[in-house]
This record gives sequence, structure tokens and C-alpha cells, in this order.
Amino acid sequence: MASQSQGIQQLLQAEKRAAEKVADARKRKARRLKQAKEEAQMEVEQYRREREQEFQSKQQAAMGSQGNLSAEVEQATRRQVQVMQSSQQKNRERVLAQLLGMVFDVRPQVHPNYRIAA
Amino acid sequence: MALNDIEVQKRIKHMLAFIEQEANEKVEEIDAKSEEEFNIEKVRLMQTQRMKIIEYYEKKEKQIEQQKKIYISSIRNQARLKVLAAQHDLVSELMNDMKVKLIRLVENPEVYQGLLYKLMLQSLLRLLEPVMIVRCRPQDHLLVEAIVQKVTPEYMKVSQKQVKIQVDREVHLPMNTVGGVEVYSGNYRIMISNTLESRMDLIAEQKMPEIRKALFGINPNRKFFL
Repeated sequence: MASQSQGIQQLLQAEKRAAEKVADARKRKARRLKQAKEEAQMEVEQYRREREQEFQSKQQAAMGSQGNLSAEVEQATRRQVQVMQSSQQKNRERVLAQLLGMVFDVRPQVHPNYRIAA
Repeated sequence: MALNDIEVQKRIKHMLAFIEQEANEKVEEIDAKSEEEFNIEKVRLMQTQRMKIIEYYEKKEKQIEQQKKIYISSIRNQARLKVLAAQHDLVSELMNDMKVKLIRLVENPEVYQGLLYKLMLQSLLRLLEPVMIVRCRPQDHLLVEAIVQKVTPEYMKVSQKQVKIQVDREVHLPMNTVGGVEVYSGNYRIMISNTLESRMDLIAEQKMPEIRKALFGINPNRKFFL
């Protein structure tokens, strides 16, 4: 019958359409999953960039404070050396006199354990 | 014919509708699942990656701290060394000054003679050998020969020993020596150095802590220095 084959045609077409719909849905799913990777990647990159900036600024700060510190230490050292120099100036004559006195203070004597051989 | 055309059409329409409905439901299911998996996967990936990034940067930031500490310690150490070097230089300056003053003092012949006599006697009494040789500067040779005459009896009196004292004619102390003598045993095996240089060196070495204290004051870092 002509109507029979027509009906079968319609059914076959409907099945075909249905299969296509499902296949499309599956393709969408695959793409969605790929999207998940891409979006995750992007957001992670963003985070990484933020962190990198944070790190850079921390490092700059550290460098800066190091510079300040070394200047401070330099200054303290110079002051110390100055103090030593002026102290030496003040005391040198006295010390020299003492030391020279010792050089000239010659005491010829025998050793305390020396025994005069009989 | 069991079914007429209209019946068939109706049946077919139902079946078409059924097929379409099934398909739509299936698609809905797939779409819902896909959203769910999308979210799960995205969150999972982000977690693991973020973890890694956090670990990485935490380590790096710790390194900054460490490096800073190393830097601080290193410049502090350098500073300490600088101070010590400056101190050492100041002390050397003093020692050089002392040498200059010493040279000027021994230019006085009376002073030098007296000194030389005592230095020789001291050395001889230290050595206590039966034969002793005195070595001096070439410019002091005659002076020393004269002093030997005087010092020999004094030595023998104090030590109660016989002795033969000679002045070294072959080898002398360098001409630029500040002064003093060296005394050798007869076979040149034992030597007593009583030059002004060696006295100066000895004093510098033994008195260094006191010299530093006198020049720079008490060191607060030394807990056990008397």
C-alpha cells in the first residue's frame, strides 16, 4: 500500500532526526567539557598573574629595605671607627710612655730556680 | 484489512510524537549531565592548578625572607670586620710611632750605653753558658767590646760561674737595627735576642689586650677579661 510506505518513511525520518538531535547534544557536551578546560586555564592564569605581581612587589620591598639597612650599618660603622680614632688620639701618649718605659726597664737577673753549683 | 487508513495515520502520528519525545528527553538528559560535568571538571582543574601556584609562590616568598636574613648577617659581619681592621690599623700606627720614638731616645749615647750594659747582662744571665758570643750592630762594636770588660766580672759575681765572653767579629746585626744585642752560646746553637726590636715585639704581643683597653676602652663584648 502506498500509505504504508509513506508511514514508514515518516517513521524512518523521525528516527533519523531523533538520532541527529542526540548526536548534536553529545557534540555539545564534548565542547562544553573542552570549554571547562579552557575557562579553568584562563582563570588560573589570571590567578597566577596576580600572585606574580604580589611576589614582585614583595621582592621590591625587600630590596628596598636591604638598601636602607646597609646604609644604616655603614653609618654605624663609620661612627664606631671615628670613636676609636678619637679615643686613640686621646690615649696614645700615655700608652706610648708606658710601653717605652717597659722597653727600657731592663732587669738583669738569674732565674728564680737557679742553683749555684757547689 | 484490519486497520483502515485513518487508524494507521493516527498510530503513525503517535509513534512520531513518541520518537520525538524520547529524543528530546534524551537531549535534555545529556545537556543536564554536560553542565554538571562542566562545573565539576572546571572546579577540579582550578583547584589542582591553584594549589600548585600557591605552593610555588609560598616557596619563593620564603626564599626572599631567607635571602634577606643572609644579606643582613653578611653586611653585619662585614661591618664587624671593618671595625676590627680599623682597630688593627690604629694599633699598628701606635707601634710605628713607638719605634720612631725609640730610635730618637737611643741617639743619646749616655742613655744607650747604660741600656746596652743592662741588656747584655740580662742576656748573659739568661743564657748561663760557659762560652758566650755577643753579636751587635757594626756601629756599636767598639762600645760593646768595652762593655764586655765591665760586664764579665759583674756576671761572674751574680752567677758564680766562670765565663768567656766574646764579641762576634764576623757577623753583625743589620746596621738599621734600632739597637741592642744578641747573645749566642759557644756553638751558636742557643740564641737570646735582646735587641730593641725584639723587646718591642715581645711587649706588643704580651701587652696587646691592655694596649687595646688603654686605647679604646673596655670591650663590652668580653665577659671574662680581667
